[in-house]
Amino acid sequence: MENVSLVILASLTAALVLLPKWGLIARWRESRRMTEKCRREDALKYILKREVNGQTPTLNGVAGALEIHSNKAAELLSEMERRGLISFDCGQLRLRHAGRELALHVIRAHRLWESYLADQTGVEEAKWHHLAERKEHLMTPDEAEELSARLGHPVRDPHGDAIPTVGEELAADAGQSLNSAPLNAVMQIEHIEDEPETVYAQLSAVGIRPGMRVCVFEKSPERIRFWADGQEHVLAPILAHNISVIPLPESAGQDLFDEEFLAGLKPGQNARILGLTTACRGAERRRLLDLGFVPGTSIEVEMVSPGGDPTAYRVRGTLIALRREQARLIRISTSEAQPL
Amino acid sequence: MNADQADAGAESPAEDILRTAQRLRQGITGDLHEYWVEAIYADAARIADRAVSRPEKKARPTWDRTIDRIVTSRLWGFPIMAVLFTGMFWITISGANIPSGWISNLLIDRICPLLRQSADAVGFPWWLKGLLVDGIYLCTAWIIAVMLPPMAIFFPLFTILEDYGYLPRVAFNLDNLFRKAGAHGKQSMSMMMGFGCNSAGVVATRIIDSPRERLIAILTNNFALCNGRWPTQFLIASVFIGSLVPAYLAGFVAAASVTGIAMLGVAATFVISWLLSRSVLKGEVSTFSLELPPYRPPRIWQAIYTSLLDRTLFVLWRAIVFAVPAGAVIWLSANLSIGGQSIAEHFVNLLNPIGLLIGLNGVILFAYVVAIPANEIVIPTILMLTVLTTGSTAMGQGAGVLFEIQSEGALRELLHSGGWTLLTAVNLMLFSLLHNPCSTTIYTIYRETGSARWTAIATLLPLAMGFAVTFTVAAIWRMFT
Repeated sequence: MENVSLVILASLTAALVLLPKWGLIARWRESRRMTEKCRREDALKYILKREVNGQTPTLNGVAGALEIHSNKAAELLSEMERRGLISFDCGQLRLRHAGRELALHVIRAHRLWESYLADQTGVEEAKWHHLAERKEHLMTPDEAEELSARLGHPVRDPHGDAIPTVGEELAADAGQSLNSAPLNAVMQIEHIEDEPETVYAQLSAVGIRPGMRVCVFEKSPERIRFWADGQEHVLAPILAHNISVIPLPESAGQDLFDEEFLAGLKPGQNARILGLTTACRGAERRRLLDLGFVPGTSIEVEMVSPGGDPTAYRVRGTLIALRREQARLIRISTSEAQPL
Repeated sequence: MNADQADAGAESPAEDILRTAQRLRQGITGDLHEYWVEAIYADAARIADRAVSRPEKKARPTWDRTIDRIVTSRLWGFPIMAVLFTGMFWITISGANIPSGWISNLLIDRICPLLRQSADAVGFPWWLKGLLVDGIYLCTAWIIAVMLPPMAIFFPLFTILEDYGYLPRVAFNLDNLFRKAGAHGKQSMSMMMGFGCNSAGVVATRIIDSPRERLIAILTNNFALCNGRWPTQFLIASVFIGSLVPAYLAGFVAAASVTGIAMLGVAATFVISWLLSRSVLKGEVSTFSLELPPYRPPRIWQAIYTSLLDRTLFVLWRAIVFAVPAGAVIWLSANLSIGGQSIAEHFVNLLNPIGLLIGLNGVILFAYVVAIPANEIVIPTILMLTVLTTGSTAMGQGAGVLFEIQSEGALRELLHSGGWTLLTAVNLMLFSLLHNPCSTTIYTIYRETGSARWTAIATLLPLAMGFAVTFTVAAIWRMFT
């Protein structure tokens, strides 16, 4: 009797360890294979990004980007060379055709997944990059294409980066750091670097997003003060460095300071809607548009809830209540108002 | 040859067009939707301006504005709400007693004996008669008698308020409170509906268009004490808690304790909403908008008709579908024996240790298992099982036959003989608030969410809370007595 149960126990243990797909050994090998794949693809990504920005990719750079020892990085690169992904001529790292294709696909998958998270889920902004870092290695080109179609072929990801299409070259990073922006000129945020994650989380927590128009009015070694979306922001230069901006020469700094938002509208006042800010996106944005919060619409405060929030607005003859955090996302103009 | 050429010729422009379409498609930016909506609104406004003439003076909106100013004012908003809802519940509870009595008299006191007689006349064996009449028929009749009248009163009243346009104002007034719990103001409406019936409350969450807030409203709807649980609360409160104080205070204290339980349910709604929105539901999409439609004179007959059809009969039908097997199970478990004891007694004995640990007993737990189809039959099942397990012959109408006791004294005596204490009563009231939803509601949650996972969470979360709360209360109670 004891022998029988011993045999059963032994065979169960053996099965647990040796089973071809679910056994511990198979799983361990699978996870090692996955780690290797992720490392190769991350290295390709790093090399491609350096190349398009006119910088030289190096072995130490790869080791730093992947957070691995340089011996390990050397091993990885020679493995990639064997696979025909890169060439290592005269000490110069170069992508070969297959490597370039794969790197582009991984970047595309990453940016598409971030767009998906931003547009179709309620996952908080600080987690997008992290989740996409994992997902990019799991998507096939066909899946990426399908996702792109589902999202309406987005051109830019939520950080402002262009999503490369199949067979296209990756665009170089545009814009300059917010630290180098001239004083009192209107700039548009082009891109917010999503690494390191803590810096990105801080920036997104104060509501800084690509597409936002900003105007820097004070710079010192300790801090940089600027105006955006009707609010003053103060950042340390080390944080501001992660924000890339491009100049918007046609608008004057004063316009930006004079921007008005629906949240500031007083009961009984009329206004005209100018548009939704870029911070308003995904389902929220579509919902507001469907309700008629489109540019040119007249709007008026009808009543405020006894709790102070939400506020009911009269838009196109209907009464719609919005919370203050949403009313902050709607740009209005009181001077261009027409009586209802 | 010609045909082949034509084919080849037709294919290449087609492919060309597809390629061009593909290229153009990729050139379209994410703002397409926006341009589209703007263009549609511009077109609609142009057409409306041409076709609709607007009178100069606006009579109705001013009238609407006046009402809105009052019902959403800081001073009057909340008192008006309190008065309307108290009135609604009072009418439902006091108004339902009379028709409930009629239906029960007809279905249970008159038709049931007739059925028994005719079963005898046809020559049914005793077990078939018992299963069909005492089991299935009686359980179904019981549920109809207790469930139908309150719902037939509550749902039309609710629909009239909804129809008039008042309920969206309630959502508007209360939104700030729900916002802090991570929920939507419209949840106040589904919660209010839940006080009538959780199943209807879950259906009512359809008005919440934001996926995250809708799931929160569905998962917490069970914390609204439904119609089927009010009678249990009133009965136990008046028998055990009302009797603690002098007779002239008894009614007041009992009512206050039931209100306290209902308020505890509201508190649980807010706390669990807050927890859910910050844990499992974090990644769901969330938007907010609340339309406040103009006031309309309620179409009373239409409201009664649609609410009876859409809500009352809908819920009643689902309850009956689940009541039939429950009646059979209750009767069979009390009448089938294994080793000289009925199945029910075996289960009661099995559940007794757990029951006693959380300050209840095996009878109550088993009653909650077999009464999953409807909370309305919990008390009759408990009484039947208590008689069965104590072997008391003075009361009851036989194994597996549900019954009710009119006299409070007799009821107290029976329950005391079943080993009940004040702790059992308090914990039963708590457990009645915090346990799994009835099978009708569980099924409705499954239909509405389409997900076994959310259905399981909605079912097990309140049950786990019920066990935790009753266990804690029992432990503290035993520490001090």
